[in-house]
Amino acid sequence: MSARSATALRLEIEHALERSFPAALTPEQRTIRETASTGIAEVDALLDGGLPVGAISEINGPESSGRTTLVLSFLAQRTASGQVCAWVDADDAFDPESAAANGVNLRQLLWVRCRKAGGLVQSKQAAKPWTQLDQALRATDLLLQAGGFAAIVLDLGDTAAEHARRIPLATWFRFRQAADRARTSLVVLAQTGSAQTSPAHGSNAQSSAAVALGCAAMSPVVAGGTVLRGFRFEVRNERQRFTPFAPGRKKPPASVWPAACAWDVAELSDDDAAFECARVLEMENSA
Amino acid sequence: MSQQLYACLHAAEFPSQALLRLRPDLQSLPVAVLQGRAPIEQVCSMNPLARLQGAATGMTRLEGEALASQNGGLHLLPRSLESEAAARAVLLECVANFSPRIEEASSETACAFVLDITGTERLFGPPRALAERLRNALKSSCFRASIAVSANFHAARMLAVSSRGITVITAGEEATALANLPVALLEMPDDHAETLAIWGIRTLGELAALPEVDLIARLGQSASGWRNLALAAHAHTFQPIEAAFSLREFCEFETPVEQMDSLLFVGARMIDSLALRAATRAMSLATVAVDLALEGKRVHQLTIRPALPTVDRKFLLKLLQLEIAANPPPAAVLSLTLTAEAGQSNKVQLGLFAPQMPEPSRLDVTIARLKAIAGEDRVGSPVLEDTHRAGSFRMSAFNAQNLAEEDKEAPPRMALRRLRPPLAVRVALNAGQPALFHDGRQSYKIATSFGPWRSSGCWWSVDGWDSDEWDVLAESQGTRVVCLLVMDRSKHEWRLEAFYD
Repeated sequence: MSARSATALRLEIEHALERSFPAALTPEQRTIRETASTGIAEVDALLDGGLPVGAISEINGPESSGRTTLVLSFLAQRTASGQVCAWVDADDAFDPESAAANGVNLRQLLWVRCRKAGGLVQSKQAAKPWTQLDQALRATDLLLQAGGFAAIVLDLGDTAAEHARRIPLATWFRFRQAADRARTSLVVLAQTGSAQTSPAHGSNAQSSAAVALGCAAMSPVVAGGTVLRGFRFEVRNERQRFTPFAPGRKKPPASVWPAACAWDVAELSDDDAAFECARVLEMENSA
Repeated sequence: MSQQLYACLHAAEFPSQALLRLRPDLQSLPVAVLQGRAPIEQVCSMNPLARLQGAATGMTRLEGEALASQNGGLHLLPRSLESEAAARAVLLECVANFSPRIEEASSETACAFVLDITGTERLFGPPRALAERLRNALKSSCFRASIAVSANFHAARMLAVSSRGITVITAGEEATALANLPVALLEMPDDHAETLAIWGIRTLGELAALPEVDLIARLGQSASGWRNLALAAHAHTFQPIEAAFSLREFCEFETPVEQMDSLLFVGARMIDSLALRAATRAMSLATVAVDLALEGKRVHQLTIRPALPTVDRKFLLKLLQLEIAANPPPAAVLSLTLTAEAGQSNKVQLGLFAPQMPEPSRLDVTIARLKAIAGEDRVGSPVLEDTHRAGSFRMSAFNAQNLAEEDKEAPPRMALRRLRPPLAVRVALNAGQPALFHDGRQSYKIATSFGPWRSSGCWWSVDGWDSDEWDVLAESQGTRVVCLLVMDRSKHEWRLEAFYD
């Protein structure tokens, strides 16, 4: 009887405050999305934990904006946890050496290299030339349907933005549904015409993307010494669905993250540093 | 010791059975098999429908074609000894499930095996139940055979030849059962057969009734053996053969086949048979080699390698379809051979907390489809080569496996996006350093350059390299890029190899 009275009282209060605060006393239903870390603390902070699992994430940016490095860092985290990933390479631009340098376990990566436009692949019905973009979309569809991949990267990084934007909206809807069902993070690596392009216009997956990141054109490189180093990139959160509501907290609009180079020496642990000092001292003494 | 018991199965018209076994489209049509050298081939075997239409053993091709033109629908196929050998192996493997002791009793156009089924009652029940199970097993492999069970080897053999269906003779009644069979079953020399015919002896019962001493006096000592055979009293030393386990299926087409659907229609039956045979031994198919004999005496070879051994027929057929679609035969196909290697059945230990992985069988089909889209050598896992040459790698087969590692806290390192093939560029130098380059569409002004980083190797071989690498920070129309320029020292050419991204 008392519970019923409490329910009636709550409904009465909500009805009274309906104009000002709709459903004031009813907890808001929200979707809690599982996220996967990108391996870059600054980007994770921007995204509340990382890229969403079972959804489409889109990373746009011009060349030399750090977008590929960001995706490789994400894949390194996924493969390190024993999961398998796939890279659908529309333009055959993937560099295995860079992936290995970023910590991606190449044995757990399925790389699909789409053919150049000159190559003809016989379809079932008749000979029909598949463009690289078509091949990439078909390959992504097959991988999503197969299931079991923790992350699939659809690399349209060198595909002209005007071509990528012609991908039908129905395709993205299908990808979103399949990614949700397979619990796969579909990362779309795309190009924007220029850094000044509006993110709304630069988005390819449009409303199907749970997260859209915009990588800004590269900040001036700090040239240290005789080798290239000191990259710093800016990434903006252009769109994020399912954001948990946190009153009083304002997220930063953008994050800046650094990237090392393959030839940069990793920081030595204490033991390694002691060993290195001992080795140098020994060499000096012998000299 | 229990009494000896033999079961004989006799597959008559074996040349036609061997050809029609994998061809369900022809099984409902009258078919006659021709043997001999053209143009004097003769009918050596036929199915019951062809016999009903008037076909008979010994007919020439012309007579067969005339019969076909009269009745319509009589198919004349050439005899294929290879198909018969493959069918014989399947038949032998099928009967080997009922007894390990088997002796062959085949004749020219019939395949027959005699099984020593002594002591199998506890496994298969009474002899009739065993015979019925044996006949059902043969039926599932698309063979028709008559089966006779007797305590005497030769009685079982002769009854299987001359009867249809299942015949079981109880012990002691063999002579009675053989009494009405023709003397021709004894395969005696022509002169003696003629003598018996003159005497009016036509059945085994009449021969058995003759006095033994007088018979030997007139026909010789061998007559005693024939009389014993007629009385089912002839002793026999069993000579068992060992069935070699070989998963092989062969089908020869009467006309060259160009349509993939026709190939798959036959291939499906062959895969069914292979999977069934492997499954009866609690094994799976690890690899299946596909040999397509083409016109012009060429052979087109394909191999199906599922990630895990399997007997899933639909899955194997899908792989076969995708493999043929990806590597279509360049000419019409004359015959199809499937040779499988058996492997242990798939055992996967699933874990509640194991990370999600692609299902192996679905992944195989997916990769085969991806290869059909992108190309055979363009799908897989990259493997870095043990060389200093930049950008060298090779593709290897992708195997989904859980290789969990400790979390790495290494910072992200600047990645490259390669241009394959590299883009030839024109570079303007200033004081030995690149100052401007043009990629054919636009010019890039180089703000900063680092290098040259010299790299060379394999100078002793054709694919040697000798190049200078430059990391350049360039700008064009307000866009700033960092890219990798390479100067090929042997050709004195500049190339844009990659962008840092």
